[in-house]
Amino acid sequence: MWARMLSALSGIWLMAAPAVLGYGDPAATAGYIVGPLAAGFAYVAVWEVIRGLRWVGVPLGLWLLAAPWLLNYDIVPLLNSTVVGLIQIVLACVRGTIKHRYGGGWAALFGRGHEDESREGV
Amino acid sequence: MALLAVPLMPHLPRTARMPDAPPGWDYNPSAWAERWPVIVLALVGSGIAGYLALYQWRVLDTVWEPFFGRGSEIILNSSVSHLLPVPDAALGALGYLLDAVTGAIGGTKRWRTMPWVVVLFGLAVGPLGAVSITLVILQPVLFNAWCTLCLASAVVSLSMIGPAMDEVLASLQYLKHVRQNGGQVWGAFRGSGGENGRTIGRTGPASRSPWLRGMGRD
Repeated sequence: MWARMLSALSGIWLMAAPAVLGYGDPAATAGYIVGPLAAGFAYVAVWEVIRGLRWVGVPLGLWLLAAPWLLNYDIVPLLNSTVVGLIQIVLACVRGTIKHRYGGGWAALFGRGHEDESREGV
Repeated sequence: MALLAVPLMPHLPRTARMPDAPPGWDYNPSAWAERWPVIVLALVGSGIAGYLALYQWRVLDTVWEPFFGRGSEIILNSSVSHLLPVPDAALGALGYLLDAVTGAIGGTKRWRTMPWVVVLFGLAVGPLGAVSITLVILQPVLFNAWCTLCLASAVVSLSMIGPAMDEVLASLQYLKHVRQNGGQVWGAFRGSGGENGRTIGRTGPASRSPWLRGMGRD
């Protein structure tokens, strides 16, 4: 829960940072695109049954690490993008608690059987 | 007394404590306690989107915008919001209504008795969330503006995805089980085999399956 919320907040921060820290394009537009995606996927992954969507934070974080070098950011947006990228990757790896059982989850839809044993796959 | 007794009987399988839960689940995703919050959210979303559509149709002269100055005006009168013959908020309101209706149809066994409604519900909820996120991205990128109620609507639409997807998962697991046991998936999808158990022959080995237990009796 806290991992998802922190991850979502870091995405919202990407949307606000150009105004707060006073930087412009290309970093601003990049943040306006990645921010809602990061916040949206982290928030949706709060629900256990689609907790797997937390992994979207890894490619988003990798992009945030690479973007400053590909798009020639200034130092402030470079540092900001790097920190948020690391936050996205680290928090995506935190699974959090799964309280309920889902008949093997989405993984049970592929391959044969084992529906009744597994509590993984969500 | 029965309610008190359940936690005191840990030796019972979990599905015995929660009779309509799918096999391997410890709760029933189609229970009303799981569904009414989504229906309420959908109605709230429909109210927000309907209000924005009334402004776009100029039934209302102004739109509420506490944070971003002229942001809502800019967004709601933008080219993107009028790409289609109908303003985008009106389509949003309709989408939310579809969410509410497909969330409400069917009883507490509908993950098994009405998979088509559950899947339609999931198809209504998922893309609505995706569209909302896309619109949130377009606001600052194309128009350099934010719209408070549009952002609120996006949060509402995302909040419905999790609660909807557990039911979708249960229905898909059920359909997979029907297929694996040689049943008619299309029939099961439409719900023809749900209550009377005719989708899979009751004399075959599948009739002992936990997925079909209790069919024909309920």
